[in-house]
Amino acid sequence: MTALLELERVEARYGAARILNGVDLAIAPGERVALLGRNGVGKTTVVNTLLATAVKCGGEIRVRGERIDRLAGHTAATLGIAVVPQGRKILPNLSIQENLKLAAALRRKGPWTLDAVYGLFPILRERRHTPGTALSGGQQQMLAIGRALMLNPELLILDEPSEGLAPVIVDELGVILRDLAATGVAILLIEQHLRLVRDIAERYAVLSKGAVSAAGRMAEVDQEQLQSSIMH
Amino acid sequence: MLINALNGLVYGSLLFVLSAGLVLVYGLRRVVNFAHGALYMLGAYIGWSVATLYGFAAGVVAAGVALAAVGVVLDLVLFRRLAGRQPLITVIVTFGVLLILEDVVRSVWGTGNRALDPPAALDGVVEIFGAPFPVYRLFIVAASAAMAGGLAAWLRWGRTGLFVRAASHDASVAAMCGVRTAAIGPMVVGLGAAFAGLSGIVAAPFLSIHPSMGSEILVLSFVVSVIGGLGSFAGAFVAAMLLGQVQSFGTVLLPELAALLPFLLMAGVLIFRPQGIAGTKG
Repeated sequence: MTALLELERVEARYGAARILNGVDLAIAPGERVALLGRNGVGKTTVVNTLLATAVKCGGEIRVRGERIDRLAGHTAATLGIAVVPQGRKILPNLSIQENLKLAAALRRKGPWTLDAVYGLFPILRERRHTPGTALSGGQQQMLAIGRALMLNPELLILDEPSEGLAPVIVDELGVILRDLAATGVAILLIEQHLRLVRDIAERYAVLSKGAVSAAGRMAEVDQEQLQSSIMH
Repeated sequence: MLINALNGLVYGSLLFVLSAGLVLVYGLRRVVNFAHGALYMLGAYIGWSVATLYGFAAGVVAAGVALAAVGVVLDLVLFRRLAGRQPLITVIVTFGVLLILEDVVRSVWGTGNRALDPPAALDGVVEIFGAPFPVYRLFIVAASAAMAGGLAAWLRWGRTGLFVRAASHDASVAAMCGVRTAAIGPMVVGLGAAFAGLSGIVAAPFLSIHPSMGSEILVLSFVVSVIGGLGSFAGAFVAAMLLGQVQSFGTVLLPELAALLPFLLMAGVLIFRPQGIAGTKG
């Protein structure tokens, strides 16, 4: 089966600082993969390379088997890859509804419409005319997820979605992400919260010093092994 | 008294449309465009040339279209590279563009003043509470209101307007959502330049056309931007209207101080509210 997204020996940098030194990673359609690793190993850079905010300087990126040579900021979106970025990046000068409509820019066909997103997160409908940043952290995370869904993605990348959220909200997030996974969308989850990772992911890859140092099936490792492969 | 207020409104509307172009470009590119006044002047000259041959309406269209094209080129060649640079660099580069355009105008059209009559349909006067008032000045207010209103509605409710607002705040997030941000820049700068060109040709029958008309009004539209708060349309609106009145009443009541009043106003605002009427701190 052709991978939905495939990174082969991808190298990337910001200015002169090289962060990724050959990352290999593949995600099949509908698959849920966790990208793990300590702070500063380059997990977000993997995302930023796809978004062209980090500069790819080596290796290959393939989407559905097709090589992507020129990445621009909107390339990932056009290929059906939606990102829930670290820090959520809700635009404060737009209302909640406008934040959602923004992500319908490409009019990709699919089940996710404004109504569908409001159905999933009723609080967003209730407050649709208020600025996105007037929401609580957990609600902003819902908005960021809703915004990514508005793209009708085939791959949903979530970068540290539990960051800054209360434990009870993280549990809620886990339920939402499991429900989403059941819709068939592939998920790349970048996360420090291992319980959430276990809830969602089928496979994991550990990033260390800008390259994948360990990988495997979630069912075949226990918490301690996972923890120690992240620490090494 | 009423006529003074109306004259202030006319001048204020013109300043607002001009400043709106400045605000639009600054909002997206964070480039303070010193060439904006030159674009206004170029619009007046191109409009004048076309209007004398094919009539006023054709002149207006020509000024808008030609300046939109100039704006697109400016963005692709210069502004795109200026985004994120130090303010001093953008000032020097855009000031250079101003000088170049002024020289182009001087060599094409000469240094003398040109006059453009209002179109026949808008020529003449109406009586407003017994006082005569030129119809063309009312047209300036109406045209400015239509342009400003159109821009505001487009930004507020339009699909592309939403993209522009998003890209103005964070281009990388807009791109992540699928917005082709590479196309937004030329479009916005083209629109900003078209606004400058349109205000130039609309102003032409009211003021006169000469090569330094751009620099003269540029200073005032910067005063508008500073008073209003850089990057704010609402602030620019209030400031332009205020400045229009100050100019109009100033020339009548304090003629020897009139030229100084806008700057006194600006100094006052800077002392008590340095971020401008609608600006945010930092």
